[in-house]
Amino acid sequence: MSKILCSVATKGRYFSTLPLVLNAIINQTKLPDKLVIFDDNDEPQDMRNEFIYQHFFRILDIKGIQWEWLFAGKKGQHHIHQAANTMGFDWVWRVDDDAIPEPNVLETLSSYIDDKVGAVGGAILTPPLLFENSDPTGLLENIDNEPSVQWKNIKQVKSVEHLHCSFLYRAGIHDYNLGLSRVAHREETLFTYGLHQKGFVLLTVPNAITWHMKNPKGGIRDGQKQEMFDHDERIFRNIINYKEKTIVVLNNGMGDHVVFSKILPDIKNPVVFGCYPEIIPCKPIVEAQALFGDLDQWNIYKKMAEWNWTESIEKAYRKLYL
Amino acid sequence: MILISPYSKKLSNGKTNPKNYPFWKEVIEGINEPVIQIGIEGEEQLTADFRKNLSIPEIKQLIKDCRLWISCDSFIQHLASLSGKRGIVLWSVSDPNIYGYPENVNLLKSRDCLSKNQFLWWESVEFDASKFVTPEEVLYNLSNF
Repeated sequence: MSKILCSVATKGRYFSTLPLVLNAIINQTKLPDKLVIFDDNDEPQDMRNEFIYQHFFRILDIKGIQWEWLFAGKKGQHHIHQAANTMGFDWVWRVDDDAIPEPNVLETLSSYIDDKVGAVGGAILTPPLLFENSDPTGLLENIDNEPSVQWKNIKQVKSVEHLHCSFLYRAGIHDYNLGLSRVAHREETLFTYGLHQKGFVLLTVPNAITWHMKNPKGGIRDGQKQEMFDHDERIFRNIINYKEKTIVVLNNGMGDHVVFSKILPDIKNPVVFGCYPEIIPCKPIVEAQALFGDLDQWNIYKKMAEWNWTESIEKAYRKLYL
Repeated sequence: MILISPYSKKLSNGKTNPKNYPFWKEVIEGINEPVIQIGIEGEEQLTADFRKNLSIPEIKQLIKDCRLWISCDSFIQHLASLSGKRGIVLWSVSDPNIYGYPENVNLLKSRDCLSKNQFLWWESVEFDASKFVTPEEVLYNLSNF
């Protein structure tokens, strides 16, 4: 039985849309195994003193849902999502603090879980419904020219290349890009496309509507600046430019390069950034840093630590890249 | 000819790398054939023939030409694995199941000596000579190689 974590990142919405979101989660027809609220408020409060939250916490206990209220590091929601991604659950259902899922959403999304699926998203609707007559493909190459597949009522299951906002995803497979700024613009697109690149199917499915209120006050991106959006957009475009390639980053020692050379022939369309071109022909590592912002997702030692690895480095590389 | 690569990469904090075997002199004294040491400028010279700062092709050629090679957990074991040339690796705190190759003779005193976290910087691990096998054990394995 897959263990599902529900993750909510919140800022500035203690007394507006967050209670609605928590109420919707508590009243799902299928309950998550755990709910974690990542509180990214500048001045976080102890919500155990608030009547409505006392009520929520009691119901969570009664329904047997583990819950945790964590104070986040104010580094942006991508750091929060990455924390949820690595909490040891099989799946994470990420829900925005102004997105209200209908009661059947988690049950519906989770019904599509199988070995090939990497993420499942339902419709994310914001009244008035402006995109009902659109016919988006869900392909990354069309992202500049079409709305998200999730922004309209979904009539049938569709395989896509990226998802938006709120969805259920397979945890611990792909990292969020922590090189993005605090605004974390494009974070979910990069993340879900990464799952797609690793060979997992992304689905948009009917009968799983989340109402996105787009609360103009608060929100995890509150108070951010245009240059942060520009920075993130640059990273996004750089990664997209390499979308036909398997990006390899070897920011490590000579021996690690030698070990990696054994699996290089098995990698489809590799583009290698490394430190020792005399061992593996590669582009300079500083170029990777400039292009992609954060290289941790390719850090084989960090990965082995995360995986509690006990086998060879070569096998770890195979897990990371193949 | 026996090729030795005695030292692992220098640590950024200047301390002795906990993977560096401490009894090389005793081992070398017990070897009755030519020994070539490879390494980089600044490392202690242990043999008359010390070749520094060689290129990758030069090291590969030496690996090919030697009867066997001996090293601590360092770059040479990875390079040798490309050609399938077996050698002896002297372990202490790093795990041969992760960083080594089963085809080599991997001399580890005890798995109790292994660092609990194998994936941190080695700067955070103290050098401890008692975590290595004795020179006698190295020479015994060498004689049976």
